[in-house]
Amino acid sequence: MSKVECQLKINGLSKKINIHKDKPLIYAIRDDFGLTGTKLGCGLEQCGSCAVIIDREKKLSCNLLAIECEKKEIITIEGLQIDNELNNVQEAFREFNAAQCGYCTSGIIISITALFDKNKKPSSQEIQNALNGHLCRCGSHSVVLKAIDSLIEN
Amino acid sequence: MNQFNSGPSINTYNKLSHWFDFSNPGILKVYSGKIDIGQHISSTLALIASKITEIKYDQIEIIKLSTDISPNEGITASSLSVANSGSAIKAASITLKINFINYALENLEIKNEDVLFENGVIKDKNSNKTISYWDFAKTDDFRKIIIPENFDENSLKKINYENNQKIELKTINDIVTGKYKYVHDINFPKMLHARIVRPTSYHCKLIKINEDFKKRLVENDITLFVKGSFVAILSQDEFLVTKFLEIAKKNIFWEEKQQLSNENVFNSLEKHEKESLLVKSGGEAFYEEIPEKKSFDDPKIKSLSTIFKKSYLMHGPIGPSASCAIYKDNKFTIFSHSQSIFALKYSISKYFDIDPNLVSLKFIPGSGCYGHNGADDVAFEASVIAKEYPDRHILLKWTREDEHSWEPYGSASLNKVFGAINDYGEVIYWSNEAYSDTYLSRPSDLELTNFTSYKFLTNNFAKTKSTPKTSAHMGIHRNLDPIYNFKETRLVKNLVHDLPLRTSALRTLGAFANVTASESFLNDLASIKNIDPFDIRINHLDDERAIDVLNNLKEKMEIFKPKDDSFRGIAFSRYKNSAAYCAVGVELNVTDDLEIKLNHAWITVDAGEIAYEDGIKAQVEGGFIQAASWALYEEVIFDSKEIISKDWDSYKIIGFDNIPVFTTSVIDQKGSHYLGVGEVVAGPTGAAISNALCNALGQRIKILPFTKDNITKELLN
Repeated sequence: MSKVECQLKINGLSKKINIHKDKPLIYAIRDDFGLTGTKLGCGLEQCGSCAVIIDREKKLSCNLLAIECEKKEIITIEGLQIDNELNNVQEAFREFNAAQCGYCTSGIIISITALFDKNKKPSSQEIQNALNGHLCRCGSHSVVLKAIDSLIEN
Repeated sequence: MNQFNSGPSINTYNKLSHWFDFSNPGILKVYSGKIDIGQHISSTLALIASKITEIKYDQIEIIKLSTDISPNEGITASSLSVANSGSAIKAASITLKINFINYALENLEIKNEDVLFENGVIKDKNSNKTISYWDFAKTDDFRKIIIPENFDENSLKKINYENNQKIELKTINDIVTGKYKYVHDINFPKMLHARIVRPTSYHCKLIKINEDFKKRLVENDITLFVKGSFVAILSQDEFLVTKFLEIAKKNIFWEEKQQLSNENVFNSLEKHEKESLLVKSGGEAFYEEIPEKKSFDDPKIKSLSTIFKKSYLMHGPIGPSASCAIYKDNKFTIFSHSQSIFALKYSISKYFDIDPNLVSLKFIPGSGCYGHNGADDVAFEASVIAKEYPDRHILLKWTREDEHSWEPYGSASLNKVFGAINDYGEVIYWSNEAYSDTYLSRPSDLELTNFTSYKFLTNNFAKTKSTPKTSAHMGIHRNLDPIYNFKETRLVKNLVHDLPLRTSALRTLGAFANVTASESFLNDLASIKNIDPFDIRINHLDDERAIDVLNNLKEKMEIFKPKDDSFRGIAFSRYKNSAAYCAVGVELNVTDDLEIKLNHAWITVDAGEIAYEDGIKAQVEGGFIQAASWALYEEVIFDSKEIISKDWDSYKIIGFDNIPVFTTSVIDQKGSHYLGVGEVVAGPTGAAISNALCNALGQRIKILPFTKDNITKELLN
């Protein structure tokens, strides 16, 4: 099966990769860029664990083709830190110990970061919309919601 | 604090070196036989060691479980991680501290009052001479120390600590930055990615693989692995493997040896061959004649009978199971997130008929899951493939469909409950018959057939029969024995055979169904006599700690005014009647469309001495959320051909849109034993929701989950 050249920019790093044209973005992120913080949960856009930010919008990367993401700014969980400091959302999750196994956490942090990036005072409904489609099996929801609430209060 | 028992792990591992490694200056490394599945056990164990040794929490590391170096503390299950490993580390810490102080006083030739003790270092405030734990660990004295099985009051008086510390989880910084490594993230040079090509269901023999497909695999540098009816494909390119997995499914053909079933599973539970055991007070099951159920003619005695039904449930971790294995120099090294790491070592060595010392298992985290999911299967399967490709790491990942369709589920079950209450509000008779498939089919060296791929590897598709377990609260009869002082009980465990789906341990085993049924039924009996739900429980309890938990819950619930059109329910349980106590209150609304919205959840728990309070809260709130999800949404759907619930659309779980506000209270019993909190909340949660729903609808809904369909059916009945 033939491959195509694809230039992706992830967390500020531009790189040309040779990939199958139907390769989903998550495999390019994990295999070709070695960024394993983005998690594959279902491959069906049902669980939210593969969320990344593309041009300031939250997107699920498990079905999105990598070649469709050329010339776009892609940010993964590894790219959220600014000058090695956690961003506000990461900091709140750290402060509240807002994770159990953590498998779903990077997707949730990505989603909430994208939300607060556009709107510093989102409504409860907007937060719910952002969390819609993010599944957690350990039951970390209550502490995750506390961490998010702290962002609004601050 | 009167006496402290070190727990069962110390019977085998009674040296300080079994638990502590002081080889790095300033760092205490702690061994444990339990794995961190997201329940924060590594942080909790580090905190226990820190509180007692007074070494800073940040300077304590928990060594990830490895069969090469860690104590074998059995399976990480049954809410025993803190109870066993926590107690062992507490015992080791107390022993270390007492012996260290004695050693330091003797060697520094100083008096107690001249001692400065800070962060593992004793200093003579006059001479400034110091001695540390790290110095002490190099001595023969340290090596000779035996950790006692019990500590008396005098020893314990020397140890002072507080239980209200706030800590940062050991894992949290790596989790929020994406650096936390799961099995799925392993990467070795020349590693092969593997996927299994599966048929539609459990009993399918491989017939044919298309020749053209085989050629395409060769052209694309993909390896086909076939052993019996077990088929896998491998490549260094992970995406290519996933791509060809879909193509493989259309090019590989199977003969179905036996179908699943179209029969309603609740009918199967009643009608199929079963083994019935009598469960006695204390929770043990016996092969004895089952007494006839009593009947009551006295008009002053009111009796009631109900059948509660629960569907098959799945573990459903968000990340499918995975494992990495290599076979090199005649030895296996296997990276796994199994909760049964040691049992897996012996099972795999048994399968290959090799010395267990040639199999090394190393724990690496997987996606959170409480119970026996696909983790053991995938590790076994990775080792089978690795054996054929020596010196290459094989990273095998299950797909979402694999996880949903092939994991061992929590069994469907029935509880037939009958009870009688007299004019004084005393429950004078209580009968509970539990019907279920097994909850205990974790693989072991004696039960290799419990690996789902074993039958495909051997082409032996004969069904195996489970054997009823008889120990107290083991499996189906967990928490079947009510904790209350009912005058007479009749408790029956029915292990039903020849049911369609593969089942094993899911968080709480039978306790979720048994407690949900019992605590719902107790409310129904109470309502006959207009007795308050708190009163009916407290009136039948002697245990002060149980009563305190219920009173605390009542007090906490009274603080909050109910929301409009909302309804409340409560329930109580002591896990296995010997572990943690937990009372749960729920307030909910039922929409016009029969959707249940959870407003508020109150949880009061007594888990003995608090090891780590925020960890306990995370566990019980997480446990509530999972149990609420079981109660409201979850059921595995299947037909005679296959599992229908293959993804998150066909198997709905709770989302962020139905998470209640929590008021969680933890009662500290300082000085008493750790009781563990991983499972205690699930049963009372199911029952509290059931009781609130009953109050909302004026009718008991007896089929879980409480979906619109099930509620409608029940209301129409």
